[in-house]
Amino acid sequence: MARITAGVATSHVPLLGVGIDQGKMEEDYFKPIYAGYEWSKRWIADPENKPDVVILVYNDHATAFDMNLIPTFAIGCAEEFQPADEGWGRRPVPVVKNDADFAWHLAQSLILDEFDMTIINKMDVDHGLTVPLSLMFGQPAEWPVKVVPLAVNVVTYPPPSGNRCYALGEAIRNAVESYDKDLKVQVWGTGGMSHQLQGPRAGLINKEWDQRFLDDLTADPLRLRHIPHIEYLRETGSEGIETVMWLIMRGALGGDVKELHRHYHVPGSNTAVGHIVLEAAP
Amino acid sequence: MSKHTDIHEYLAELEDIPGTRIYTTKRARQGYWLNQMGMSLMKPENRERWKADERKYLEDWPMTDAQKEALLARDYNRLLDLGGNVYYLAKVFSADGLSFVQAVASMTGMSVDDYKAMMMAGGRSPQGNRSIKGGY
Repeated sequence: MARITAGVATSHVPLLGVGIDQGKMEEDYFKPIYAGYEWSKRWIADPENKPDVVILVYNDHATAFDMNLIPTFAIGCAEEFQPADEGWGRRPVPVVKNDADFAWHLAQSLILDEFDMTIINKMDVDHGLTVPLSLMFGQPAEWPVKVVPLAVNVVTYPPPSGNRCYALGEAIRNAVESYDKDLKVQVWGTGGMSHQLQGPRAGLINKEWDQRFLDDLTADPLRLRHIPHIEYLRETGSEGIETVMWLIMRGALGGDVKELHRHYHVPGSNTAVGHIVLEAAP
Repeated sequence: MSKHTDIHEYLAELEDIPGTRIYTTKRARQGYWLNQMGMSLMKPENRERWKADERKYLEDWPMTDAQKEALLARDYNRLLDLGGNVYYLAKVFSADGLSFVQAVASMTGMSVDDYKAMMMAGGRSPQGNRSIKGGY
């Protein structure tokens, strides 16, 4: 039986991919950002912890989806996905290989559990998906895990509610546990934390709010589940809404989870870089 | 479905955030062509045509004159008002060779250096920036 062993959340700031791709990791600006991922890289490289598959929750930033198609929840079911050319060439990172049998199983199971997923085959994946892989695995010739992309609309309003995201995570847990192959699965929630990329209020950062969110992933997930959109926007900036995607990860981990590692640094470009590793409930 | 959301109350709150344009369905409809034009700059051949003659490039897009003028002027706050979304507008400022930090700073009225210094010092405080009506 497949099982969820852990959850990882991380911001997916494009600059953090640039820093790795261009060998700037030792520069003063970048060093404290990447330092917070050293523990996580060691942890995930340990065969005890390394998953077979990552269900990677992220959002597309006007790359694969434009204004013609705006799926709320979309699951990638193709064999592989190319890193996107976001206007300045493809990131020099490996092709993202899926476990397509598993992805199709998840899709059908989630739809039967009343989550009306959009199924995607041909799709390029942007920095939202590839930057977290770089942060966790560095620069391997091939990604050491299979990846099921799960894209969430957090660009055009309204995005899904926190409660809906959490419930999708719970349904993912059921779907994983009904898969008959013996797979170790992690669920990653990406994007966030505080940031605003538009208008005179751009640059807003709320460390206190972000820290409390990180605390309550273990202490009080029920509170997080019911935070309304307006609170993310007022407190953490317009693009801070991405943090809602972390709740899909949290919902998939079950009841009592354990915090293994945390990192928080301001700034990464315009953003508060947040990162947490959680052990799933047994 | 356990509860129904009051859509009018929901939308009114989105408009109550200082210095912010939330990308609602109304803006998405208003900015459709503007944003799709931004999207077109993902292709190198289109970027070349755009750079060669911006005004001519815009002739192919059924945008309002106000949207076209704001694009030519790179007036990003105005573009947000006219239905632009930052991820689509990013294709325009990336084609200009600007980073997110540089482009975003231009929307705040700060110099790039001052904006960077603010971010290095922990970013803009939410204090007084949460609600227009509430002033908190």
